[in-house]
Amino acid sequence: MPTSTPKHSSTEVLIIGAGLAGLAAATRLAMFGKKVILLEKHYVVGGLNSFYAKEGRKFDVGLHALTNYPSPSSGKSSPLLKLCRQLRLPLDKLDLLPQSSSRITFGSQSLCFNNNFDYFLSQVAEIFPKSIDSFSSFLRKMEEFPAYSVDAEELSTRTILKNSGIDPLLGEMLLCPTCYYGSARPNDIDFPTFIMLFDAIFKQGLSRPAAGIRAILDPLTQKLKDLGVTRRMNCGVQSILTKDELTTGVILESGETIEAEQIISTCGIRETENLLKKEVIESPTVETGQFSIIESIRVFDGHPRDFGWDETVVFFNQSEQFNYNCPDSLVDLQSGVICIPDNYGANQGNKEAKLRVTHPANFSQWSALSQDEYRSEKNSWEKTILESAMHYLPNGNNLLPQLIKKTLMTDTFTPTTVKRFTSHINGTLYGSPTKRRDGATKYKNLYLAGTDQGYVGIVGAMLGGIAVANNQILRKG
Amino acid sequence: MDKEKVKQIVLDIIAEIAPDEDLNDVKSDIRLRDQLDLDSMDFLDIVMELRKQHGIDVPEAEYRELESLDSCANYLLPKFEAGAAA
Repeated sequence: MPTSTPKHSSTEVLIIGAGLAGLAAATRLAMFGKKVILLEKHYVVGGLNSFYAKEGRKFDVGLHALTNYPSPSSGKSSPLLKLCRQLRLPLDKLDLLPQSSSRITFGSQSLCFNNNFDYFLSQVAEIFPKSIDSFSSFLRKMEEFPAYSVDAEELSTRTILKNSGIDPLLGEMLLCPTCYYGSARPNDIDFPTFIMLFDAIFKQGLSRPAAGIRAILDPLTQKLKDLGVTRRMNCGVQSILTKDELTTGVILESGETIEAEQIISTCGIRETENLLKKEVIESPTVETGQFSIIESIRVFDGHPRDFGWDETVVFFNQSEQFNYNCPDSLVDLQSGVICIPDNYGANQGNKEAKLRVTHPANFSQWSALSQDEYRSEKNSWEKTILESAMHYLPNGNNLLPQLIKKTLMTDTFTPTTVKRFTSHINGTLYGSPTKRRDGATKYKNLYLAGTDQGYVGIVGAMLGGIAVANNQILRKG
Repeated sequence: MDKEKVKQIVLDIIAEIAPDEDLNDVKSDIRLRDQLDLDSMDFLDIVMELRKQHGIDVPEAEYRELESLDSCANYLLPKFEAGAAA
């Protein structure tokens, strides 16, 4: 077995990061004969949407839901179908289990949705009867807005909602799932992203591959292997080399140099600037993202139905005012997301089930803790988070002792875990509020893909990677 | 090589790109976009597959020549013949 790798190599395209954008871009380029090297700093692929095993059980990191479900009502317009076509990945191989139903609860008010958009519309009409007309106009405004175009104007959704005439509570309730599933902006979401997520979550819907995120990652890594892509794990980049207006390659943390004709960086705008030691795009300020999360996972004996819990995802907020910010404390309990992955698919007879609860969390405070403090904070928050979440599940407060008794194991990941999987500064989920949709930088052969392209979620990240591969490299021959 | 063969080659490529489309009744003289669910990404793939499988280059300015099976046949046949002769 060779013990050392060559200290110099070269390739046509070098991709930094084997998250979903990097995997998708690598697949497209290799399909059409490009020589590709794919580098990943972590020891598993997937980035934010990765997986791990603990005590013999498999866990997904990011995946609460695969959005853009191609339901009978959304038909062929789902971007998920485009994605499968582009990667030659048959949709039925994903074995998608549709959600049962999900809910947004603000204080005492709830709004339910499932994969039939008409049901959501009827919920809005029932709960906010005075907003029927203004909500219809708002839907039209969303349809007319060029949200999917690369130069869509990044207007404030909060301002648009405020001026729309719809009930302020309905506006806040719409912001909650859209922000949680993809906003890099503090306490707001830009309008194009809001529309894409509104379509992805409400018009199309939620599902989950039966095998979790590996249903996507495994066939893609196999495809890359078949196509001859060199994939290197545990392989961090120390710097990107430049000469005038071009990049020439990278130096790895190991000291090895790889020359590349073109580079796609999926690690983020600010993170890429750090590798270049200078700014990547012309715009004067690239903001640093702040939003990160803590997620507490509980594996319990039985099925969620034994507890009378048949919903898939619950977005909740204590009051009628939604606050989406990096908190001043370790964790913000005011709002959060509960996901019960075993409630995807109608009659899954699982012997054990998971309950996942997510809250905003502060990266700097978590990363400043000593190892002992970290462990003890994690344990105590695990308990607090569970107790708080029970307020939002049917009969939760009464069922809490029973759930604790049936608990088989718990695990909690924090903003520092997110950083380990994504290398994002501040362990942000969605990167910088500054986005670069077309992926262009001031270096002619360096492109950004992934989080800071602004197409979020599993489907968005992959379509973003595909778009950069198609438009910046394949189209140019 | 003749026009019918070129049309079949294009249909085979579409079948590969969009296995969920029913190609049994595609009309030669109607725009592909009007009878099938194909977008610009799919047309890029037709171009990329033509290059990969048959060594035929379609410059970006000429993508619109591929709008229907008839126009594909007219536009691509000389390219196939030139390739065969070379």
